[in-house]
Amino acid sequence: MLGGLIEANVENSPAKTKDFQALDARVGIFVTDIDEGVTLEFRKGSLVVHNGLQPERDLTIRAEADTVMNLSNLKIGLFGMPVYYDAVGRGVAAKLLGGKLRIEGLLGNLATLNSVTRIFSVQ
Amino acid sequence: MAVKAFSDQWATQFKDEVNKSSVYKQAAKGWKWTVGLVVEAEPDKNFPEAKGVVMDLFDGAARDITVGTAADAQKCDFVITAPYSRWKQVATKELDATKGMLQGKLKLKGDLPTIVRYTKASQEMTECTTRVPVEWPDET
Repeated sequence: MLGGLIEANVENSPAKTKDFQALDARVGIFVTDIDEGVTLEFRKGSLVVHNGLQPERDLTIRAEADTVMNLSNLKIGLFGMPVYYDAVGRGVAAKLLGGKLRIEGLLGNLATLNSVTRIFSVQ
Repeated sequence: MAVKAFSDQWATQFKDEVNKSSVYKQAAKGWKWTVGLVVEAEPDKNFPEAKGVVMDLFDGAARDITVGTAADAQKCDFVITAPYSRWKQVATKELDATKGMLQGKLKLKGDLPTIVRYTKASQEMTECTTRVPVEWPDET
């Protein structure tokens, strides 16, 4: 489903297409309440979705299913930055502060996280 | 009083529950697509033929919800398909619909970004199904 969502987003938005074509990273998403994850392997314009968390990930996002869906509902604001001050953004920020949303590998990969968030966002 | 699962009476009660929900009304503002639920047959569960639930939803209200064939449901803008026992799990809160979709237990056809934008509305719709007392064919 996550792969399909990204594919549809990229097809519908030139800005997301630009991000997608520039992104070179392995991103893991682990849904904690179903104990399942995927690894999204972005290779500058292509995406391979692997079942499970594969090694050598640049970033890993761990959250409950609802939070993963909320991540894709984050609005993108000025300079392509995710908006954390509206209701959805505050909810995501609260999960992050409360430890219910964990992002591993953030150090040095903030730009990658922002690109992934933009590609993932349906807003 | 309990109604038979996926019967016309069930559809009427489900529609009433959706239209009573202020949460759904708010969360589904702007929604303008039809949704079909395909309930696949499971003869060993006393559900011998597939059925289709066609939901005409518009801007926070259910204009109509009917039960027909799977082919009817497949014509909708969004189609969610699962075997009878999975739908029963959803309606009895054993399976969360969002998790079910992420796991591929519920197969979704349609524009994914649109449905993700309305996650809260679809969650509330699931809540509405749980409020309808149901007589399940594999329990009678």
